[in-house]
Amino acid sequence: MLNAEPDLSGKRFLLTAIFYYMAAASVASALLAVTRRNPVHSMLWVLALFLHVAGIFLLLGAEFLAAVQVIVYAGAILMFYLFVVMLFDLPAEEVRPRFGNHWPFAAAVGLGFACLAWIARVGAGAPSAGTPVAVERVPQGNLRAIGTALFGPFVLPFEIASLLLLAAIVGAVVLARRRAA
Amino acid sequence: MIVPVNVVLALSAVLFGIGAFGFLARRNIILMLISVEVMLNAVNVSLAGFSRHLGDLRGQVLALFVIAVAAAEVGVGLGLVIALNRNKPGAAVGDLTKLKW
Repeated sequence: MLNAEPDLSGKRFLLTAIFYYMAAASVASALLAVTRRNPVHSMLWVLALFLHVAGIFLLLGAEFLAAVQVIVYAGAILMFYLFVVMLFDLPAEEVRPRFGNHWPFAAAVGLGFACLAWIARVGAGAPSAGTPVAVERVPQGNLRAIGTALFGPFVLPFEIASLLLLAAIVGAVVLARRRAA
Repeated sequence: MIVPVNVVLALSAVLFGIGAFGFLARRNIILMLISVEVMLNAVNVSLAGFSRHLGDLRGQVLALFVIAVAAAEVGVGLGLVIALNRNKPGAAVGDLTKLKW
């Protein structure tokens, strides 16, 4: 946080405006990502989506999550997707129809999920109750608190996640290996 | 909190809807997997919003686990895509009829 300005309302307005920009840009880039014909263009729009979501995490006070989002999602996962896209025969894919014949049903399902936003509008008055784990709002970064939570109450899920990643590595190697014919 | 929590949840719902539409409508298997990533990101936004709203760090820890599972899913999913591509070139799911009879 910067040092306290005399007019906090101006800074607050700026942060709110940045949040709404991030929200609008992430929705727009997600829409473009699922509708572009060229898969590489889709990947680049998804990259824009991931970076804007990282900005939203920053505004929500989840700095470590924003860093992980940029490093893991935008850095590792998207590069993996781009490599696989490059391996494929793109010109042959581009002449095929983008959507299946049943795309109106898919649009209806998507709109149905988006209507959850309408429910979120009503459920906003929920009191800010809850049982905080291990930490009360730390104003200066939350990396220490997340580390304490990961190696404290969440140590078993943490180890299971590492086991899952190991299984995924082994599975990917086994699946992608060329069999000796 | 600079915005009310329902704005964050609404954004999450809209992103999830876009991802669901992409998964169901696209016929390219890589873009279907990317749509799953969009949905997982929407869930992460919602978890971070709840974490801020409730003042509870568990939301962010859960989002970290979601990211770990997404990484595992990408590894196995793209390995499957490469294995399928070896049998039949292309990424269209309409062509994957080998198990049909």
